[in-house]
Amino acid sequence: MSGRRIVVTSGKGGVGKTTTTANLGATLAKRGHRVILIDADIGLRNLDLVLGLEKRIVFDVVEVAEGRCQLRQALIKDKRFGEQLSILPAAQTRDKDAITEAQFANIVEQAAAIADYVFIDCPAGIEAGFRNAIAGADEAIVVTTPEVSAIRDADRVIGKVAEKNIPIRLIVNRLRPEMVRSGDMLSVEDVCEILSAELIGVVPDDEEVIDTTNRGEPIALDEANKLRVVYEKIARRLEGELVPFTNFDNQGFFGRLLGVLKAG
Amino acid sequence: MHEVQPEPVPVAEKAKRGRAIVITSGKGGVGKTTTTANLGHALAARGCSVALIDADVGLRNLDIVLGLESRVKHNLLDVLDGTVELDDAIVRDKHNSSLVLLAAAQTREKDEVDTEKMKALVERMRESYDYVIIDCPAGIEGGFKNAVAGADEAIVVCTPEVSAVRDVDRVVGLLGNKFRPQLIVNRLRPALVKKGKMLSVEDVNAILRLPLLGVIADEPEIIVTTNRGEPIALRKDGATAAAYHAIAAKIAGEDVAAPTVEIKETGFFGRLGALFGGAK
Repeated sequence: MSGRRIVVTSGKGGVGKTTTTANLGATLAKRGHRVILIDADIGLRNLDLVLGLEKRIVFDVVEVAEGRCQLRQALIKDKRFGEQLSILPAAQTRDKDAITEAQFANIVEQAAAIADYVFIDCPAGIEAGFRNAIAGADEAIVVTTPEVSAIRDADRVIGKVAEKNIPIRLIVNRLRPEMVRSGDMLSVEDVCEILSAELIGVVPDDEEVIDTTNRGEPIALDEANKLRVVYEKIARRLEGELVPFTNFDNQGFFGRLLGVLKAG
Repeated sequence: MHEVQPEPVPVAEKAKRGRAIVITSGKGGVGKTTTTANLGHALAARGCSVALIDADVGLRNLDIVLGLESRVKHNLLDVLDGTVELDDAIVRDKHNSSLVLLAAAQTREKDEVDTEKMKALVERMRESYDYVIIDCPAGIEGGFKNAVAGADEAIVVCTPEVSAVRDVDRVVGLLGNKFRPQLIVNRLRPALVKKGKMLSVEDVNAILRLPLLGVIADEPEIIVTTNRGEPIALRKDGATAAAYHAIAAKIAGEDVAAPTVEIKETGFFGRLGALFGGAK
């Protein structure tokens, strides 16, 4: 068996890569898939925190790369999901060049041999950490927020990932429909037009997310959370189902933004 | 053998030596660029000459936040490569001519920056500007190392989130003792803090233990001002603009209190509780 290898990237930091990785992974696990999440942010790991697994770390991705332990030993099972969800944490006290692209790709391949979905949580930026994170991926999800700086960075990252000739899908995160309506935020249509990648999800801005990530509780387990359904739809689209999009916004238009972004 | 020491230069004849401050955080998206733009404006409004350097080569954004993107012709790497003079590469701000921007290259890579040249450039700029403020990229890779190379002070920006605190703590460790890092807590939502759903400034600083420059509230207007390219510090009124100006005053050495965001009392019972709590 060889599972799908999906890198979650964005260029800009703080747009929600780790939150997306954790919640999408948890949702797919809950839907019965075997999921492995790899934190590629060596030196600044956070995926463990977002899932509340930080106290259970024994080995990390660099130790697997160096052959100090087996992948299976380093994987931390999230017991809330039975056997379905585990993470491979990043090393916290090492540099991103402690691991090579080939070593990273090899670990991703090993993970794909025992999982249906392998998600790679990419660090911010487009340096060595980014190159490692995309090395073993055969699909990419680009996360962006509807802000001019995030879209500019996403555009740059899409250009870099496109060199690999792998499918690129887009999640527009933290949309505030009321700001789109008042013309203060780009609409999803605007974002898609600029980035021309296949849209796979639109996640509204929700202050609950700060709280759930602080507490290490994935949204997939919170029946009352409004965003649970949103991540479920994204998961179903990833599985290949055609799920219609909720219309979050009207025709937003903000001249300067489009001008800036279309100019490159 | 002792080397011959040069005669000390009399203070009056000394060239200007402005301060070089790096704005950093580890984690991305916490507001480094917004902070850089607003502090740049607030310091310039005090009559200081200020140069902002965007060190995020390949993913520049400071030009957009300042509304100067269509005026950028040359960039940091052109200057470091020696193909363009510094004076030709800087872009003067539209609102305040004592504020200038040196933009990052967009189509180059961070590892094309030579750390020693970067250091020398910041050193040279300190002779012409009161403040050289360097907007650091996210992460702790080469881009971070180059951004901090020429600075001798650091301002770390942290949001009240566990992941941001962890990353800032790591960056403070990497910076070491040289930079005397000071803290700005950004994007505080008082309503969430009150409900116990967000870390308070005290929670954040119980871990980081840094001198607090100020607290900035989370408000949608920041997104609007960023999208428009008109930093909020340009506004005549409003708590957030005032907070940036107070932080600038603190940076300049004025004895002012760090601006805070008020966590409103919970009404009568809340006040009673506080009274009794205080009497304990």
